[in-house]
Amino acid sequence: MATGLSALFMANRAALLRFLRARGAGENAEDMIQDMWMKLEAKDIGPVADPLPYLYRMANNLMLDRYRSATRRERREQDWAEGAGGVMADPADDMPVDERLILNQTLDEAREVLRALGPRVELVFRRFRIEGVGQRAIADELGVSLTTVEKDLQKAYRAMIALKQKMDTA
Amino acid sequence: MQEEALGWVIRTRDPDFVDWEALTLWLEGDPARADVYDALMAADTELDNIIPPEPVGMPVAANDPGEPQRRTWRWIGGGAIAAALVAAISVGMMTRADIYTVSTRPGETQTIALEDGTRIDVNGSTTLRLDRNDTRFAALDSGEAAFTVRHDEANPFRVTVGDAVFEDAGTVFNIVHTSDATRIGVSEGKVIYNPEAQAISLPAGRALTDDAQGLRVMDVAPAAVASWRQGRLVYANAAVGEISEDIGRSLGVRLTATPGARAMRFTGTIRLEKDQARFFAGAAPLMGLRAIRTGDGWMLKEGNGPQS
Repeated sequence: MATGLSALFMANRAALLRFLRARGAGENAEDMIQDMWMKLEAKDIGPVADPLPYLYRMANNLMLDRYRSATRRERREQDWAEGAGGVMADPADDMPVDERLILNQTLDEAREVLRALGPRVELVFRRFRIEGVGQRAIADELGVSLTTVEKDLQKAYRAMIALKQKMDTA
Repeated sequence: MQEEALGWVIRTRDPDFVDWEALTLWLEGDPARADVYDALMAADTELDNIIPPEPVGMPVAANDPGEPQRRTWRWIGGGAIAAALVAAISVGMMTRADIYTVSTRPGETQTIALEDGTRIDVNGSTTLRLDRNDTRFAALDSGEAAFTVRHDEANPFRVTVGDAVFEDAGTVFNIVHTSDATRIGVSEGKVIYNPEAQAISLPAGRALTDDAQGLRVMDVAPAAVASWRQGRLVYANAAVGEISEDIGRSLGVRLTATPGARAMRFTGTIRLEKDQARFFAGAAPLMGLRAIRTGDGWMLKEGNGPQS
C-alpha cells in the first residue's frame, strides 16, 4: 500500500469509525475498519487523486455490500420457500426467465417515464447515472446552473424509484 | 426524511463528492436515516436493470443565441452493470479524468477507434470505460474486448480490469472479465500483467487466468485469441461454464448450464451462427452436451442422448 494512504488511514481512523457507526455498523464498526485496513494492505492501489474521500467511499461501499447481501439472503430464502419442489436454480445465474419477461415490458414503461420528464431531465439523468459524470461537469456542458442539474436529478430519481417500487409491489 | 435521503444518494453518487463529514452528521441526527439511505442506494443500483438503453438527442433550448459550441455526444446506454465496489473505487481514483462508458447489449459488437490509432473491438454484454483526456487508458468492467494497440514506449496503453492492470508492449490482446474470473490472451507483441506488482510478462501465445483457483499462465494459440471477431470460439481444455458465458455474450442469447455441464471441459473450435436452433444443434453435441430451450433462452445439460 502507498505509505501516504496508510498514514492517512491511521490519521482518520476515528473519523471513519464514526462514519461507519453513523451508517449503522454498530458493534461491527471496528471489524469493518480492520477489513478496510487489510484490503488496503493487500491491494496495490495506485496513486489516488483524493485519498480521504476515497477511504470514505470504500467504507460506504462496504456498508452497501453488507446491506445488499443481507436483503439478497432474505429474498433467496423466500424464493426457495416459494419454489420448493421445483428445480433449484443455480444461484450464480442472475435472473429467472419469467422475471426477465416482466422486465422487458417494464423497460417500455421506464422509457415512457423518462420521456415524460422532458429531454433535458432525461439527458442529465442518463449522463449522471449511466455515464457517471459529475453534476458540476454536466452543468458546465449544458450551460445551466448546478441547482438546475440537482433539481433535474431529484425529479428523475423520484420518478424512476417510484416506478421501481410500483414494479416490485405489482 | 425520504427526500433528504434521496438528496444524499444523489450527492454521494457524484464522483466528485467529498463532504463525507456532513453525511456523517446527517446520519447521526437519527439512527433511522441510515436504513432509508441504504434502501435508496440499493434501489438506485437496481435502476440499472430498468433504464432503457436508448440514445437521447441533445436538446436545443428555444432561446439559444445562435449555434452553441457543439460537442459530439455519444449516447451508449445498455444494461449498465451494477456499480461494484471496484467500479466505485475506480471512479474515486479518476475524478480528474473525463471518463465515459461504452456498453454493448448481448450479441451486439462495437468497434472503437481511439485517436492514437488504437482499436478496441467490444464483444456483446460488455461495459468498458474510456477517458476523453487520456487515450492510453481503458477499464474493462465486465465482458470481453480485444485491443489492437498502437505501441508507444514512452506512454504505454493500460487496461484496468478489477484491481489488475495490463500494460501493452506493442500488442494485440483479448480480455474477458466476468464476476469470477479474468482471462487474457495475447496474439501479438507482449503484455505486462500488473507492472507495479507481479510484473508477469505475457508474450504472444501466452494467456493468463485469474479466478478462484488463483493466478495461472498457460499457452494459447495466437490465432485463437479474440477469434470471436471472426465468428469462431477456439478452446483448449476450457470449462463449459466459461464457454457458455462466451457464447451468451457473442450471440446475445440467454444461456445457462447445469452445474454438471459447467464443470465439463472442451477442446476445439465452435463456429458462431445467428440461427440459435442450428447453432445449438451443432455446438452442444460437439461439447458432449445437449441444449434445451428454456423460455427465452437455452440451457446446456449433460449427455447428448435423445431428449427425455
